[in-house]
Amino acid sequence: MYQFPKDMYTDVRIEESYESCYAIQNDDVTFDSSSTVIGAMIRIFDGTMWYTASTNDIDGIQTEIDNLATLATPNPDILNHPVVAAYETNVDTVLRYTDEKDIRTVSREERIALLNHYISACVDKSIPEQNIYFSKLMITHRKKHFYSSKGSAVTHDQQYAILYMLFLFTVNGITNAGYSVFTKNDFHDLYGLETEIITARDRDLDYARHAVAVTPGDYTCVLSPNVSSFFTHESFGHKSESDYMLNDKTLQEEWILGKQVGSNKISITDTGNITGHGYVPYDDEGTKTKETYLIKDGILTGRLHDTKSAVTLHEAPTGNSRAQNYMYSPIVRMTNTYLLGGTDNPEDIIKEVKDGIYVARANSGSGMTTFTLNPDLCYRIRDGKLCEPLRVNVITGNVFQTLFDIDAVGNDFTINDCLNCGKQGQEVWVSAGGPTIRVKSLNVN
Amino acid sequence: MKEKITYTERCSIVEFEENQIISFHKADSVIHSFRVLKDGKIGIHFQKGEMDDTTGYALAEANLALNRPYPYDLETGYRKRDKIEHTYTDKDLLSIAKEGLGHITKKYPQFTLRGSFSLQTDCWKQTNDKGMDYENKDSHIQTTFVYKHKDSKDLVNGEFSINQRDFSLEKLYEMADNYLGNYEKQAEFPEEFILQSRYYNFVGALVSQLNAEQLALGSSLLCGKLGEKVFSENFTLIDDDSDEICWHSPFWDGEGCVKEKDMRTFIENGVPLLGYSDKRIADKYKVPHTGNAYRSYDDIPGNGRTNMIIKRSEKTVKELLNGKYSIVIDLADGGGFNETGDYVLPVFHAFLCDGEKFLGSLPPFTLFSNLFDMFGKDFIGVGSDQPVVNDKQILIKVTVSPNV
Repeated sequence: MYQFPKDMYTDVRIEESYESCYAIQNDDVTFDSSSTVIGAMIRIFDGTMWYTASTNDIDGIQTEIDNLATLATPNPDILNHPVVAAYETNVDTVLRYTDEKDIRTVSREERIALLNHYISACVDKSIPEQNIYFSKLMITHRKKHFYSSKGSAVTHDQQYAILYMLFLFTVNGITNAGYSVFTKNDFHDLYGLETEIITARDRDLDYARHAVAVTPGDYTCVLSPNVSSFFTHESFGHKSESDYMLNDKTLQEEWILGKQVGSNKISITDTGNITGHGYVPYDDEGTKTKETYLIKDGILTGRLHDTKSAVTLHEAPTGNSRAQNYMYSPIVRMTNTYLLGGTDNPEDIIKEVKDGIYVARANSGSGMTTFTLNPDLCYRIRDGKLCEPLRVNVITGNVFQTLFDIDAVGNDFTINDCLNCGKQGQEVWVSAGGPTIRVKSLNVN
Repeated sequence: MKEKITYTERCSIVEFEENQIISFHKADSVIHSFRVLKDGKIGIHFQKGEMDDTTGYALAEANLALNRPYPYDLETGYRKRDKIEHTYTDKDLLSIAKEGLGHITKKYPQFTLRGSFSLQTDCWKQTNDKGMDYENKDSHIQTTFVYKHKDSKDLVNGEFSINQRDFSLEKLYEMADNYLGNYEKQAEFPEEFILQSRYYNFVGALVSQLNAEQLALGSSLLCGKLGEKVFSENFTLIDDDSDEICWHSPFWDGEGCVKEKDMRTFIENGVPLLGYSDKRIADKYKVPHTGNAYRSYDDIPGNGRTNMIIKRSEKTVKELLNGKYSIVIDLADGGGFNETGDYVLPVFHAFLCDGEKFLGSLPPFTLFSNLFDMFGKDFIGVGSDQPVVNDKQILIKVTVSPNV
């Protein structure tokens, strides 16, 4: 193992990452690649500054450690630095995807056969409006090792297979994208999705044929589970990342634990323990992940931390310190963030709306005090029934107001397991989840 | 035949948080892409980290078994371009960061600042058996400041960033004065709404409509409009690899193709002329080959690498405004273009501007436009100068709603 320099805190994170991509567009193979990258991040902390380096030379890690140590100032009291003292020391190996469960063992032939099967089963070339179909299979496997000068030695892995089916339908010169995305830990769970893909394709084709522009304004909105998961992630999840507040007295007073921040129907949790797209048994500081209730019955009960933010705010680390990969230092990030299901029947939630909008699917969003959702499938609700499809560009709302404006929470909780989250130039895998919810008023453009 | 792409990068980053420098990061890396072509097929091996040629080409040759068709000739040519204006050391970067951050935090103590000073120096090389030997070097310092007023209940109030090959702290201070010095002043909406902005996002949406494959398949908003006056007479769009603000981008495309004088016009005086293509797309759809392949390390090149710029006006931004005020967006998110080309953007913070100096903060608003209008009837021009953000700026008439 490594010789860690005296009077400094050091950690080393090594990642082995395998990625492959195979894609077909209109019968042409457009992607067919696979690669393995091994890299490491080395960090040294002297109590004042972090000195860090990333490298692909795994044999040279000790040299990197030694070089970084020359930049730092020895601190004999480093172990009593509050952040260093709070770092967990864990020794563990959590390898879920080895031997036949390792997705890399799926042969190239089987991968290609899967994609060809879906093209054969789900692409209907007789649809006159369809000018492009695109089908892609991505496979990723990552193994991480974390070692620290406090004695941590943790190894864990994660993997995904992602199937993406895209259709472009052009109607009257306007091209709409229809798509389905599936993320699975086990490659074989990607079988049997034909009905879902065809149903989505036909729904998107109908949308392309009939969608009309929305009249901008404020509407009662019913958000599908797909959209409420975006809402949860964007509207509240990002505000729970406490590296934004640290020593900011204004934000600390605004976000004091125990405060009522929303309807008592609302409970939101974050946990890296679930084997979803945000599965992180140990974060990139070696902290064991925990389930954190952010809101419970409308009351602010917790927030997401790395060790520094936890120490600064006199709370406990939550295992949310994550980096995109070995080239980045970790920052506070979500993992699997869920708005918990309620008791309302989703059909009743729509039936009770006299005039509003059903937001069926979104593709992105953002999370400031005013959050935004970018939907790509919406329907007008009149007298409790879904009517014509609508073109909606963006939906916005004030987070604080909207959390109080949620007056129905469905019992149809669903996980949206296909998300990448961007923050400060880093993208990490996350999942979000939620049920059908109704919001009294949102601004629709 | 063999071909090799090598990308070498030296990157150093000084990060700051809550007005203090917290970290110094080094990330030096090298990437190789080995290509072997035989009988109309290509085998590729991607390597992050060092690898000798013998091993790399052997692995690429083994990948010929994947049967990836690539029935095109390799390019040839010799050229070296060095855009480096100043060589900085890590010590220089730390010194710039300490001095710059110290000056700004002292002058504006009412703000909490986080961000980074990063130095990126890189070199692209592409060589092959036919004698191609291309090299492109570049280096710049990027500074990004994300700011929050200490009394604000928002997580972030705005941000500014500046890229410079020859770094000037004075330019950074000028930018900080414009943003932080005018944040607390309240301004009112002008009578006419003119957006002043970097234009990469807007042009990006237009460029995607110029994809030759999308044009051939009927899925572009410009289908049937090539050769017609679609945009403003003053609007000319050029793919320009010689542009000075084309950071860290080689003069050749992913297939080794170089444009005549490093540029090609795609929209001239409002008339779209043609779509962009790589060799495969040009061959498949029988359209002109424009040398727009993106560089892929682990797969065959694909269509889509462009450096589109709008031809500048001879007037400065202020002269184009002709006494009117503009709005400069500081913090916005969500929205964008929809499939019809309509554009909506929720804006959380923006400044009123005279073209060069900010006059105060505007209330939040939602901005509306349309792809055809912003480069058509609402297009005013791109200034000859680079005020406010040290970059090219477009002026567009837009519609604004005070609701967000």
